[in-house]
Amino acid sequence: MNYLQLLQLSAPETIVTVTLFVVLGADLTVLRGKSLAARFNGGALISILGCVSAALLAFARHTEANLFNGLLVVNPSSDFVKVAILALTIFTILISTSAKFTDHVGEYLSLILLGTIGLMFLVSTEDLLMIFVSLELASFSLYILTAFNKHNEKSAEAALKYFLFGGMSAAFMLFGFSLLYGIAGSTNLRDIATAIAGKGFDPLLLVALVTTVIGFGFKVAAVPFHLWAPDAYEGAPTPSAAFIGSGSKVASFYVLAKIFTLGFVGAEGNAAYHSFLSGWTPVIAIIAALSMMLGNLTAIVQFSVKRLLAYSAIAHAGYMLLGVLSNTPLSASAMMFYVITYALTTIGAFGVVMVVEDATGSDALKNFNGLSKRAPGLALCLMIFLLSLGGIPPLAGFIGKFFLFSAVVSAGANLGLLWLVILAIAMSAVSFYYYLRVLKAAYVEDAAADAPAIRTPLVTFLALALLALLVILFGVAPGLLTQYL
Amino acid sequence: MIWIVKNLWLIPALPLLAAGIIAVNKQPARKLAAGLAIGSMALGFLLSLCAFAATLGQHGEGAFRETFSFNWIQFGGQWMSIGWVLDPLTAIMLVMVTFVGMLIFIFSVGYMAHDKNFMRFFNFLALFASGMLGVVIANNLLLLFVSWEIVGLTSYLLIGFWYHKASAAAAAKKAFITTRIGDLGLLLGMVWLYAQTGTLNFYTPEHTGCLEASALAGMVSKTIFGGMMVSTAIGLLIFLGAVGKSGQVPLHVWLPDAMEGPTPVSALIHAATMVAAGVFLVARVYPLMAAGAAPVEHGAPITTALTVVTWVGAITAIFAASIAVAQNDIKRILAYSTVSQLGYMMMGLGVGGVAVGMFHLITHAFFKALLFLGSGSVIHGCHEEQDVRKMGGLKKYMPITFVVYAIGMLALAGFPLFFSGFWSKDEILHHASLWSVSKIPFYLGCTGALFTAFYMTRQMGLVFFGSYRGHEKSAHGHSSHSSESHSHDPHESPAVMTVPLIILAGFAILLGVIGTPAWPWFDAYLNGELAELQIKFSNLAESAGLMGASALIVLTGITVGWMLYGKRQRKTAAEKDVLEAAQPAIFKLLENKYFIDEIYEATVIRFNAFAAWLCDFADKWVFGGAVLLVKYFTIGSSWLYRLTDENVVNGGFDAACGSIRGSGGILSKLHSGRVQTYLRIIGVALVALIIFLIWGRKA
Repeated sequence: MNYLQLLQLSAPETIVTVTLFVVLGADLTVLRGKSLAARFNGGALISILGCVSAALLAFARHTEANLFNGLLVVNPSSDFVKVAILALTIFTILISTSAKFTDHVGEYLSLILLGTIGLMFLVSTEDLLMIFVSLELASFSLYILTAFNKHNEKSAEAALKYFLFGGMSAAFMLFGFSLLYGIAGSTNLRDIATAIAGKGFDPLLLVALVTTVIGFGFKVAAVPFHLWAPDAYEGAPTPSAAFIGSGSKVASFYVLAKIFTLGFVGAEGNAAYHSFLSGWTPVIAIIAALSMMLGNLTAIVQFSVKRLLAYSAIAHAGYMLLGVLSNTPLSASAMMFYVITYALTTIGAFGVVMVVEDATGSDALKNFNGLSKRAPGLALCLMIFLLSLGGIPPLAGFIGKFFLFSAVVSAGANLGLLWLVILAIAMSAVSFYYYLRVLKAAYVEDAAADAPAIRTPLVTFLALALLALLVILFGVAPGLLTQYL
Repeated sequence: MIWIVKNLWLIPALPLLAAGIIAVNKQPARKLAAGLAIGSMALGFLLSLCAFAATLGQHGEGAFRETFSFNWIQFGGQWMSIGWVLDPLTAIMLVMVTFVGMLIFIFSVGYMAHDKNFMRFFNFLALFASGMLGVVIANNLLLLFVSWEIVGLTSYLLIGFWYHKASAAAAAKKAFITTRIGDLGLLLGMVWLYAQTGTLNFYTPEHTGCLEASALAGMVSKTIFGGMMVSTAIGLLIFLGAVGKSGQVPLHVWLPDAMEGPTPVSALIHAATMVAAGVFLVARVYPLMAAGAAPVEHGAPITTALTVVTWVGAITAIFAASIAVAQNDIKRILAYSTVSQLGYMMMGLGVGGVAVGMFHLITHAFFKALLFLGSGSVIHGCHEEQDVRKMGGLKKYMPITFVVYAIGMLALAGFPLFFSGFWSKDEILHHASLWSVSKIPFYLGCTGALFTAFYMTRQMGLVFFGSYRGHEKSAHGHSSHSSESHSHDPHESPAVMTVPLIILAGFAILLGVIGTPAWPWFDAYLNGELAELQIKFSNLAESAGLMGASALIVLTGITVGWMLYGKRQRKTAAEKDVLEAAQPAIFKLLENKYFIDEIYEATVIRFNAFAAWLCDFADKWVFGGAVLLVKYFTIGSSWLYRLTDENVVNGGFDAACGSIRGSGGILSKLHSGRVQTYLRIIGVALVALIIFLIWGRKA
């Protein structure tokens, strides 16, 4: 064991950890007694500096290392995912700076950073135990972030629902992990794969498989483990919801794919309609199909934009699961492209919702009426984000869907996975209905006569404009991103 | 690599940028719009000159050629790369397009001065220039196709620029749809080419491009039905695109109608550049067209594809020239003349190779732009009158326009020795006379030349000689306003319009020098040979006989034209044409353009209308019904989902919670129901999934 090496390899995480304490300390000492805005700006500046330096470090090094039998695994791919997570954290912090729901600035920012640390460790391990611990670290931060608006009952209610559901699914997942440990005698994913290989599909493995799916199904909000999501998205402070929907998604999908493709080798089964065989791919296929259908169809009848985005998130989780179950290198990179661009878009959409909510008091659809006249720049950003979510070229969402669906079609032998792709495309068409409903409110409807003016804080607006630019950029030049995936 | 090759993309990018800036500015910024558009073309012209200079003096094995490519999109394991190429063909086209374009842009400042959509006009013009230059520099059929479509779009936009005129809107649609038929062929050819060679790059440094020996050999060795080589089939499909764009028979019908656009547009797009894009395309893929030919000792190789090109060109040349004889709209005459000249270019490509066709393309670009702009000046001067019967005697009113127009006319008619059109047309006829397949194209070409000289003389006679007939109506109707009618006299155009005309006229004369048989510099330049500076009288003597014959033809045409229309002037605008009086049936046939539009109306369009009706019927009743069914199903199931998700799951729960809300705290409230429901659902899911897996294992 070489602890110096450990410190080197976990340097990005260490930097974020130190930043966390600096933010907390600064808020207690230097920034004490200053105005809320000053405290938020100061804290955000420190946090962003920390995140940027961690991201630069992770981006610049090209290390391949495996410490303690897979407990800490560093490679360019996981480093790039870390960079993406850090970027999403930075955007979350940027749109938080104008928040008025809390005066516990230091705690709020450090919880975001703590969640980020959890997510960063989550993507750089191949060990069940480490996965569980870092997953819980991230989850607990998110639970608290959801509850952070102490003036709002809904926030507390949402957090509690989120927490209870999360705790329950974590229990299931831990149970599954223990079974896996029982089968393999190791918590390392590769060891587990070796142990499973050739043994056939015994009941123990079957239960472990399903419970693992439950654990991650909860994290990525896939049907039927999605029940927490609409309530949590609606009740949580908007920046927290954005973080749940972005950074956490990216890490969860990366690890979900890793667990199944590394740990369950030999238990794939077959999800093709003509050669169906039990295994993890058909389970994911069922969940993905349910998520796509329920997410998209239910979103149609929502009147709260945040709930609408929650159901849209469920639907998108369904698409991304297709990338996991195709189980080819191409589909994996297509899935990562999709989830990263999706996360950027989601933060943006939540940012717009936050501004509108701050100005009008709620995220109801009717409060978006006439947005194009009341805040043209904001409405333009919203349009770019929603059209990208729907998958309109040349935005990132279109290229993402295109990569993903074509990867899935080519993955199954004899077009076996075509049924999923057809479903996905049909459901994407449905999704336009509710995205366009929001845009219709923003662009076609007239604002109510007594509608309050909408003022976009400068930092938030710049962050949103940058996100919109990125969404366009990755749509026109996807190569910028795919070269790292 | 030379810097200009790396930065060649700037030439199309500059007008694109100009178009973008113009588009986002507010309406009345006229100076900005014109300045940006002209400035971008001027800069592009300078860069083109640099590119041209880089290709000069480079000779050796084959033509000078440098390419620059980069990866664009990935699909599967393959990258689609796009890029640009600099070779003599590109360089000469760049110089021509930017120079003629610049002059026409300047002319437009005067011509469109009173139009309230001035900015939109320059926006479209700049966008067009960008697309056209993109076509020229493309080293990749895909990039070429994309630019080609931009050009098609701007052509559509500019023809329909005065869209409030129903005829302009219809002409724009006609142009767009007709060229689309050709583009379909081009697209198919492109896809097939990609399937055969795995690349759409024309040339690469590693010699793996689709126009290079290894790829061509592969396509020549494969045959499809009837023993036709794959290369021939692909070449013909691509040629179909050129037929549409360059207005060859039978897809020529859109070009005369396209004259509904503003005259500078007709000059730039429908005479000098865009319609020449088809000819350029054939020149660009010439190696493909010529692939698999048996070696010949003289002239161009003989292949099926090139034979088709020759025949289409020859038929178009005579066909359109004969129609032009009986037209009365000054721009339509020029339009049919353009179609006819494009036919000559195609024929030149077919019988003589790239240099022959391209030489005529370049000289034609200058003198036809000159003629169109001249006609614009005439129309402008005659208060938007386009009917030649109502003009006359303009020599007196518009002396500058008269002189430059006469130069353009003589160049187009191919007046011997001093005008560029003579040399380039003679070159085509010379090669046609040596063509080993058939002599008929040669005779068609000669007859076409006779017609050309005749109809141009007719036009000159009607427009510039005799006395002005534009007053007739006002003289009868408002005889009392005689003082006012004086102000309706034609007037000379401002300098911003005449100066470009004079420059173009200079080139219409001078350009012939670079391609005479005595000093075939142009031919040598395109083929990468050393341009011989000494005057080769042997060559001159060799073709002297033909030159004499062709001069005789031209002079005959001019003389007959002068006898009928110059010396003997018509008295009134309504008077019957001389030819019409002599041969009413033939004149009627020609005046109505061989009734081609009517034939299309009765066959293709009627069939199309029927098909459209059929589709509409199916759409309304068959597919519409299906969509309706899906719609109601979707709405129904979404309501069902909402009911289950919100009422049964959430709603039932919320109802339970709601009753306690008043008394209990939030925590106790949540503990009472939430966990149970959620746990139940997780539990049910667990069981269901496990059963599903067990069932799947047995299956």
